[in-house]
Amino acid sequence: MRRALLVLGVVLAVSLLILWLSGGFAALQAWILAGQREIQNALASAVRKIKRAQPGALTALLTVCFSYGFLHAAGPGHGKVVIGGFGLGRRVPLLTLSAISLAASLAQAAVAVGFVYTGVALLGWTREQAHGVADDIMAPVGTIAIIGVGMWLMWRGVRGLHRQTQDHSGHVHDEHCGHAHGPTVEDLDNLTGWRDVAALIAGIAMRPCSGALFLLILTWQLGIGLAGVAGVFAMGLGTAIVTVTVAGLAVWTREGALASLPGQSIARVLPWFEVLAGALVTVIALSLLVQVI
Amino acid sequence: MNRRSMIIALSTVLGTPANAHPHIFVDTQLEISFNTTGEAEGVRITWTYDDLTSLQFIADRGMDEDFDGKLTPTETTALSGFDMHWDEGYPGDTFALNGAVPLQLSGPSDWTAAYADAKITTSHFRRLIPPVALGSDPLVIQVYDPSLYSGYYIVGEPKVTGRSDCNAQIQRPDMKAANEKLDAAIAALLGDVENEFPALGAIFAEGVRVTCAAHS
Repeated sequence: MRRALLVLGVVLAVSLLILWLSGGFAALQAWILAGQREIQNALASAVRKIKRAQPGALTALLTVCFSYGFLHAAGPGHGKVVIGGFGLGRRVPLLTLSAISLAASLAQAAVAVGFVYTGVALLGWTREQAHGVADDIMAPVGTIAIIGVGMWLMWRGVRGLHRQTQDHSGHVHDEHCGHAHGPTVEDLDNLTGWRDVAALIAGIAMRPCSGALFLLILTWQLGIGLAGVAGVFAMGLGTAIVTVTVAGLAVWTREGALASLPGQSIARVLPWFEVLAGALVTVIALSLLVQVI
Repeated sequence: MNRRSMIIALSTVLGTPANAHPHIFVDTQLEISFNTTGEAEGVRITWTYDDLTSLQFIADRGMDEDFDGKLTPTETTALSGFDMHWDEGYPGDTFALNGAVPLQLSGPSDWTAAYADAKITTSHFRRLIPPVALGSDPLVIQVYDPSLYSGYYIVGEPKVTGRSDCNAQIQRPDMKAANEKLDAAIAALLGDVENEFPALGAIFAEGVRVTCAAHS
């Protein structure tokens, strides 16, 4: 039963991937496109209500911001690639990966707030300058952090594979000796340290969403900065809904694939997961870097 | 899976312009004017910016401090022309064609600006250089941002002044044809990675097509 459920995860993820690749999400794209104008109007209206101190204005702003975050995360995004890649490549538990996704989304909001209030409020940048620094400096640095995560995954995978082959060549292998060679599943599980988690979160958080910057600068100009900060964290929560879903799918897919294997081979296959997921994350981040430079 | 859906999928992951949506929404009205000899002499273009963009423009200038949605006469005067100082090489997002032949448009003149219902509306006039006597080919005025950062949408009935025997029709993009052109542009792009992403705005452009009765 458990195994069937896990295998279903693989089937679901692969179906989603095929649907996505075959343009089946075009309707979603069109919906996001049509929604953009509506949501911009709603955002303007909510900001105006706050400025005029109308009742329920903050709730309206938070609702719009939450939808904005969700809508934009459902479109293109680096966060999903990193979380998905990491979830596929490392045997990180669902709850941990979900917490990382949530933390990364909120950290992205916090970085945007810190960035705007340092740059615009303290250093007197204009809106154009702030967006320029975000695009020209923050985005490449964040992307390099993501490349780091991808390469680290690959390196770990390659090291795992290397250790396996050394085990085979180092002594005559006895099929009946009853203990596993190479890294155990537990070894691999324990190696998700704070450093890679920090790099993962930093990579996502360093690329601020332009909508968040826009809202922060606008509300600061209008003297309702706190409402803007609250709104940006609401955007972060909206984004987190999507990245946590991706985290869930990644874990489900990985465990489903592993469950379909005989027990002993899991440790052998895991390094390949890391190499492939790491390569995927690296390639996608590299192409992002080429675009932003 | 065809090549196009692969590109769309890739661009969805990577966030390339193929997937970009407009950030500024501009409702556009066109009024085509003819001179006394019956030649098309220019077009008045009216832009109404979306709520958020309007709010940002007003906030950037510290205007409407009491937030009543109205500007003082001084503020209105100060606002006028804010979107009319174009950078060198900026085409003004309005394009004129006679049939398929591109026509030259002057820079903007006689501009106006107003702020009402939380939206900024500006207008400006652009001359056709030289004025065009319309034969069998229609005059086509297209409104688009080549980079797709701003989206222009024709609203209201297009107007014609100076002649009563002309007919102005709104043209919306044929999405099927536009997508085929997108395919071709992407295929060309794939051949040469050094290329800039093509300016695809034109193939999704809205516009107005003006035809007149044969002039004797």
